[in-house]
Amino acid sequence: MFKLAFYNFIRSRSVWVALVLFFAAGMVSIFIGRQFLLKQEAAILSVTRSQQEHIERNVKYIKNEFGLLMYYLQFAYIHKPAPIAALAIGQQDVNTNIQTLTVRGLEAQRYDTDLYNPYNLMTGNFDLSFVITCLFPLLIIAFNFNVLSREKEGGTWPLVKMQSLQPLRFLLQKLGIRFIVVGALLLSLLALAKMIIGIPLDGAFAAYAVLAFLYVLVWFAISFLVIVLHKSTSVNALLLLSAWVLLCLLVPGLINNYVTARYAVPEAYSTLIKQRDGYHTKWDENKDSTMQTFFRYYPEYRNYVWNKPGFNYVWFYAMQHLGDAAAREDSRAMHRKLQQRSRVSATAGLFFPATHAQLQFTHIAHTGMQQHLQYLDSTAHFHEGLRRYFYPKIFGDSAVDSEDWHRHVPVYFKAASNIQWMELMLPLLFAGAVLFGAGVLLFKRKPGLT
Amino acid sequence: MSNVKLIAGHFLQTVWKSKVIAPVCIVWLTLVLYAVFTGYATYTRQNEIREEYQARARQSWEANPDKHPHRMAHFGSFAFRIKHPLSIFDNGMESYTGNAVFLEAHKQNTANYSEASFSTGLLRFGEISLAMLLQTVLPLILFFLGFNAIAQQRENATLKILVSQGATFKQIIWGNSIGLFAVGVAFLLPVLIGTITSIALQSTSVVDAGLFMRCAVIGIGAIVFLWIISVMAIAVSAISSTGRSALLSLLGIWLMLAIVLPKTLQAIGSYIYPAPGKTQFQAAVEADILQQGDSHNPDDVHFKKLKDSVLRANKVDSIQQLSFNYSGFIMQEGERMSAQVYNDHLQRLHTIYDRQNGVSYNAAFIDPFIGFKNITMAFSGTGFSAYRHFQQQAETYRYELAQTMNVLQMKYISNKKLSSTDKPYSIDKSNWTSFPDFSYRYQSVNEIIKQQWVALVALAAWLLLSVFLIHYIAGKAKVI
Repeated sequence: MFKLAFYNFIRSRSVWVALVLFFAAGMVSIFIGRQFLLKQEAAILSVTRSQQEHIERNVKYIKNEFGLLMYYLQFAYIHKPAPIAALAIGQQDVNTNIQTLTVRGLEAQRYDTDLYNPYNLMTGNFDLSFVITCLFPLLIIAFNFNVLSREKEGGTWPLVKMQSLQPLRFLLQKLGIRFIVVGALLLSLLALAKMIIGIPLDGAFAAYAVLAFLYVLVWFAISFLVIVLHKSTSVNALLLLSAWVLLCLLVPGLINNYVTARYAVPEAYSTLIKQRDGYHTKWDENKDSTMQTFFRYYPEYRNYVWNKPGFNYVWFYAMQHLGDAAAREDSRAMHRKLQQRSRVSATAGLFFPATHAQLQFTHIAHTGMQQHLQYLDSTAHFHEGLRRYFYPKIFGDSAVDSEDWHRHVPVYFKAASNIQWMELMLPLLFAGAVLFGAGVLLFKRKPGLT
Repeated sequence: MSNVKLIAGHFLQTVWKSKVIAPVCIVWLTLVLYAVFTGYATYTRQNEIREEYQARARQSWEANPDKHPHRMAHFGSFAFRIKHPLSIFDNGMESYTGNAVFLEAHKQNTANYSEASFSTGLLRFGEISLAMLLQTVLPLILFFLGFNAIAQQRENATLKILVSQGATFKQIIWGNSIGLFAVGVAFLLPVLIGTITSIALQSTSVVDAGLFMRCAVIGIGAIVFLWIISVMAIAVSAISSTGRSALLSLLGIWLMLAIVLPKTLQAIGSYIYPAPGKTQFQAAVEADILQQGDSHNPDDVHFKKLKDSVLRANKVDSIQQLSFNYSGFIMQEGERMSAQVYNDHLQRLHTIYDRQNGVSYNAAFIDPFIGFKNITMAFSGTGFSAYRHFQQQAETYRYELAQTMNVLQMKYISNKKLSSTDKPYSIDKSNWTSFPDFSYRYQSVNEIIKQQWVALVALAAWLLLSVFLIHYIAGKAKVI
């Protein structure tokens, strides 16, 4: 019986057309993801090469002034996307993942963005996470919306009821067949993505797959609930499509608009201005007080000579650092505000499957806001490390040749990878169970309505 | 004609009496209100913040004491992007463009702190704005309300009666289209009222915003767009055998035109015309600047030649004898050269972007949704060219600032090298206040029309096509 029903379903031409279309969309998305990854890799390669050339050239011309040389030298700090980022590009196209920093003030450098075409960003990425969160529900709706109503409108429902003792089982069987087909499509896309992009089979990939399947399951539960309302085919289509518009189009926008309107980030601008003023006004201030403030942060450099009249690099880099110090509070406040935005979005997102899935996909792929904030925070450590390494050489005016410049290659950031399985699965499991349970109850109340 | 009127009236009556119209209206009004409130709140708050920080940045600029003008060239200034009042209506791509840029000598900084860089991935589902509701949600509503118009009459055989009573298909399609269009206009009204009210509520009047013309173009565009959507819905209904198949076709059309095509076409554009990232871009700029002359290199040929020719032209044999400050002159020359190289590269980059976007722009002929969106964005001052406009103004200001400081240096700073015990050279602080602050000017409407003529022509073409479509379908449609 099950087998027959299965063959009956997949024999339909429209089912195949739909499957081929969605498979094609999935493949396109995988290639778009791959393209994205290749572009990122090319950028990393290019920055690695140009850093070397850049250092070599500057070292050649500025041979005897370490402080001046360090004014120019840039060092790359890279957040290299993992292969799985190709399946959920997330915010990675907006947020730069290559920072090239000098030892001068950090706050004036670390928010520098990449160059991009805003039109591309606005239309967004057609990646696999988009295909799964936004398009797969449509396939599920197309497969399911008339499962029951067709039987009724075609007059075969009474027959089913007569022949089968349990109409519910009959209905679930039909949905089960469709789930197998959608699941097979999803699985094959994931497998192909794995092979084409070369994603390692690790916890992140497993989490991605589990999330995708749970999400698909939730949409089957939504379809089930609508089906058992026993409405006509057209009404079913309307209801399911409204659910899709609501969950995949309106709710994310509503949440986002709220967050944007409610949590403006003026702290960003005050960081910018305070950094500039904090540094530049030091030129007009008493050198001694500048240096004493600097030595409070770094007492270990107290013994370098800085109080000869005129310009010297100890004073210059102290001024640069005090620019950062002046902006520190605002910079922290800004990060707190961004954390808050991220938290509010995630919390609101929990209640809606599409938003939850999207945020989790990007979380798994390390392309979300959380990881970007981690990266931004860690640039401060990278910068601090650079400064502490070069300060003694600048302040002591080491010979430029004495430094082994070849070892200054780009440094990579590693995001803390923690997949919170419970947080990932529970909202979807819960939503699925509630919707399905409600569907069963509804069906039992009026199973026979014809 | 009277038949058309009758049919349109009948369509309106059916919609009015249907059970769904009340909930649909409520949902629509709620969404419109939400979009107006959040749009208004974001607009006023953002402009308030940006104006405040522009003023603060200016304050500390003016507070600088007497100093060497080159210090001021490095002190620099900021340009904050001021939102256009119509961004309440359509936020366009503003969330993805930087809002503040630091302007200093020698260096073109990126505009940073875009809304997107402060956002989670939810932003990528799209934002709710009045324009988005008009472009995406309203067509769907019209398709829902219109799919049954003729198909259902065919299904229950009333179409036959209608035709036998003397109505022609042309009249039936015209009538229903006009009816559906009237519904669309009714839905458009709260959007227009919301937009105009929120603009009228602005406490400060906006100069040069070209509000009237912009609103007029958007309003006419919206009306044409809704007409095209209405004809689409009715035409599909006229050739579908059942209401169900009409609905499914219309949903497919909507999905294609509103969701899939805009995304894929842009992806195709950026695939065909790959643009360099920042690192590649900067490496190329740096290489070109080095080729022209490296002011850091003491043996650079270009700067050596320049020095010789300057000395010769002024009939002196050493820099000390020059009547102007030589390093100010060198920096002026360096700034001019590097800015030119940078702008050439930027121009090339933007040509690539234009090509990428060209795919979407021209697609307006196959997808009226894209055309209408391009129009609303551009005329709301939130499109690509508005952003370019801001960038150009910021760069012009930056260049002016750097060169003004260089000129001051040439004029007032001596060529005599100071010993470390001398008091450093400085000029009077009144020079800072006399250099004007950055103030953003919106694009002129004429300029926008020039840039958007493709979309405007495309929408007009669709309008024409809709009339042909009615006649074509009328000839093809069958009673049963």
